Amino acid sequence: MKKTRSFFMVPYLAWILLFVITPLILILYQSFTNSAGQFTFQNYVTYGTSWVYLKMSLNSFWYALLITVVTLLISYPTAYFLSKTKRQQLWLLLIILPTWINLLLKTYAFIGLLSQTGSVNQFLTFIGIGPQQLLFSNSSFLLVASYIEIPFMILPIYNAIVQLDPALVNASRDLGATNFQTFSKVIFPLTLSGVKAGIQAVFIPSLSLFMITRLIGGNRVITLGTAIEEHFMTTMNWGMGSTIGVILIVMMFIIMLLTNDRKKKHREVIVDEKETL
Amino acid sequence: MKKKHFSTIYLVFVFLLLYIPIFYLIFYSFNKGGDMNHFTGFTWQHYAELFADKRMIIIVLNTLLVALLSSLIATLVGTMGAIGISARRQRKVKSALLTLNNVLMVSPDVIIGASFLILFTALGISLGFGSVLISHIAFSIPIVVLLVLPKVNEMDSSLINAAMDLGATRWQTFSRVIVPFIAPGIFSGFFMAFTYSLDDFAVTFFVTGNGFATLAVEIYSRARQGISLEINALSAVMFVFALILVVGYYFIEQYSQSRRHKKKSGKATLGTEVMLP
Amino acid sequence: MVKPIIELKNITKRYDDGFTALENINMTIEPGKFYSLLGPSGSGKTTILRIIAGFTDATEGTVIFEDQKINDLPANRRKVNTVFQNYALFPHMDVFDNVAFGLTLKKKPVKEIRERVLNALKTVQLPGYANREISELSGGQQQRVAIARAIVNEPKVLLLDEPLSALDMKLRKDMQYELRELQQRLKITFIFVTHDQEEALAMSDEIFVMNDGKVLQSGTPVDIYDEPINHFVANFIGESNIVPGKMIDDFQVEFVGKTFECADAGMRHGEKVEVVLRPEDLDITKPEQGKLVVEVDTQLFRGDHFEIVGYDEDGNEWLIHSTNPVRDGKKIGLTFEPEDIHVMRFGEKEADFDARLEQYEED
Repeated sequence: MKKTRSFFMVPYLAWILLFVITPLILILYQSFTNSAGQFTFQNYVTYGTSWVYLKMSLNSFWYALLITVVTLLISYPTAYFLSKTKRQQLWLLLIILPTWINLLLKTYAFIGLLSQTGSVNQFLTFIGIGPQQLLFSNSSFLLVASYIEIPFMILPIYNAIVQLDPALVNASRDLGATNFQTFSKVIFPLTLSGVKAGIQAVFIPSLSLFMITRLIGGNRVITLGTAIEEHFMTTMNWGMGSTIGVILIVMMFIIMLLTNDRKKKHREVIVDEKETL
Repeated sequence: MKKKHFSTIYLVFVFLLLYIPIFYLIFYSFNKGGDMNHFTGFTWQHYAELFADKRMIIIVLNTLLVALLSSLIATLVGTMGAIGISARRQRKVKSALLTLNNVLMVSPDVIIGASFLILFTALGISLGFGSVLISHIAFSIPIVVLLVLPKVNEMDSSLINAAMDLGATRWQTFSRVIVPFIAPGIFSGFFMAFTYSLDDFAVTFFVTGNGFATLAVEIYSRARQGISLEINALSAVMFVFALILVVGYYFIEQYSQSRRHKKKSGKATLGTEVMLP
Repeated sequence: MVKPIIELKNITKRYDDGFTALENINMTIEPGKFYSLLGPSGSGKTTILRIIAGFTDATEGTVIFEDQKINDLPANRRKVNTVFQNYALFPHMDVFDNVAFGLTLKKKPVKEIRERVLNALKTVQLPGYANREISELSGGQQQRVAIARAIVNEPKVLLLDEPLSALDMKLRKDMQYELRELQQRLKITFIFVTHDQEEALAMSDEIFVMNDGKVLQSGTPVDIYDEPINHFVANFIGESNIVPGKMIDDFQVEFVGKTFECADAGMRHGEKVEVVLRPEDLDITKPEQGKLVVEVDTQLFRGDHFEIVGYDEDGNEWLIHSTNPVRDGKKIGLTFEPEDIHVMRFGEKEADFDARLEQYEED
């Protein structure tokens, strides 16, 4: 059996080597080169001393945070109510369906909705506020990105909630907890793993959504993703692009570390132990 | 009762939020007026334009071809990888492999796109159909592994022992017990890989070069030029396509679940969990 | 002596982390008998089964099947079949395909397979279940399918790994009868792993009592029940009163400050021993007529008998089974026959124990 299994692994291990490890090394290497291909620390020096880059990084982080908070605030109650409905499967399907529409199409919809003479502005005019510059603003980026990320936040939270043993909620009530206490002391802590998974699923992509900033946020570079795209595809400064990429990867690891579920790992270990017995 | 009311209203509100942009797009795809602001009359004209657009049709076919090929290959490699990972005894090796597997799952698309671009350039692979296909295979493999692995792990080692005990050779055990058992995982892996490929924009955008385009890339370049109701028509078509796929998947899942748990009233949440592209 | 079908010689199983699951196990399995490996979880009984089935290798020692060393023979070529603890039925196949699995692999003709599968299902009392899905079956039915799947291959030895542990009490009792009956009808060897002493006592021709990777005692259920080798076995099998004692002379033992006549011999004079008295061997009488006097502490009604707990003057706890109730707090006398007393030496090995028994029983 052992030989067969090793053979099974060959294409997979080749994939890991070629498409996981090598690209990471290459982007790291590239970040230490200048446009002539020579080794240099210049990119990092530029990044560290240029107010533009630092501001953009903070900005990107700030927007990702805002998007995460907004989606979380909308998604948690949605997931919670969803878990109480009768036709859960149908509702879930309805949540999932929009994620199957290409995100560019959804973004494109907002170009129409938010344009100077678009429906939203027609509505604003109708209620007497008058047309506003909605498109190409930072808040429109926030709106569209949150819209796109909502289902990705709802689903992990929903899964955590339905996995919660209803007996625990009953036990909490039985022991005299009010609804709010039950929620804050039992339900929320026990569904935190879902929230963390949701944060991972939303925060990291939000750092890099360059197409939305391009289409909705105007041509201003306000996220790390846009900066990378700009350096790779427009200014052809791959070295600097890679440097920002490395920064993004580092940020990603920090998020992963902060939201990693230790309990889950522990559970895996227990399962493993069972298997070996 | 009052609370029930509130939760229903809240859910309906969220669903409206999710669907308004999509229906907005579809609604205006029938607009004679030519923009997304004022509906002046019903027309099929934009659909006629879409289906007469040879370039668009070739792009759609290319997109499907890439999706089909990449998901088939990714399913093969990923399934073998999942079986291999599961067979590892040492916990450290297992978790190291899983961590490497998940790198591409959590990496932002821009990082994958940029690093693959560097990789292809370093290897001297010209950008086009080949590079896009390879990239799609590469980023689809981890999701296949993640979907097949639980099935492989779920398989009690006593099932394999039972097969051997009853006289099955290694190959017979593999083909008659292991593969049929993990088949649902393989199918959902293939399905997800397929939708990942269809849905991808950012990675393709980086590695596609000039001559070759997938649907997402085409939409992006057209949307940057402003509103064209042909895109609306396209999104309506894609919405219907997605609807058919999702509903089809849902029913297949329901059917196979009810076959498996005719008597157990297990919730069919697992199926929907994996439906996120 | 009958020619053995399976022999385990000096089997030791050690894991990479240094844990020793089995230590120097020797076993002789004769054809056509019902054997039980009895012990608490972690005693190594399932490991023995896995070594016989070929799912795991012994670190040291030899496994012999019909005079052939089979240590290196893979599981799929051994003439034994296993009924797994969780049944391990293939969930993607129906009942028929599960039972037919082994025969299909051997490429038997379709007609023969059909016949034999239906026969096997009849044997386990599941006729008409051939086309059911596994998920539609109850635990007891799955259990039967698992047995049918194994016996349809006509193995020389059937290995059963705690097959009844997942069933409820009543079903379990029924299955004990059925398994025993099945074994006698098929006339093949059963090796049955269990942690339930009642199960082992009820079904087996021979029991191996195990603990900590060692076989402590083997023998017929009656032998083991009547003459447990040590404290562990006495406690594990049936209920026991075990009190410290001293061997005065052959056939004379002292405990609770008195000397009693007994049926054991062959020990040093004055040797410290342990004395076993089974609760059903104790009869209640008036305090002045009793060989021992205890004060009743608690009493539980068990349906067919009363279970009484009392304490003697030394503070030893005594468990008594009686058909008549007594009053709490009352002093009662206990009587018993010399043969009811069983004396155990500390640290005696099974071989020495058997030798000693043989020696004075011949006398």
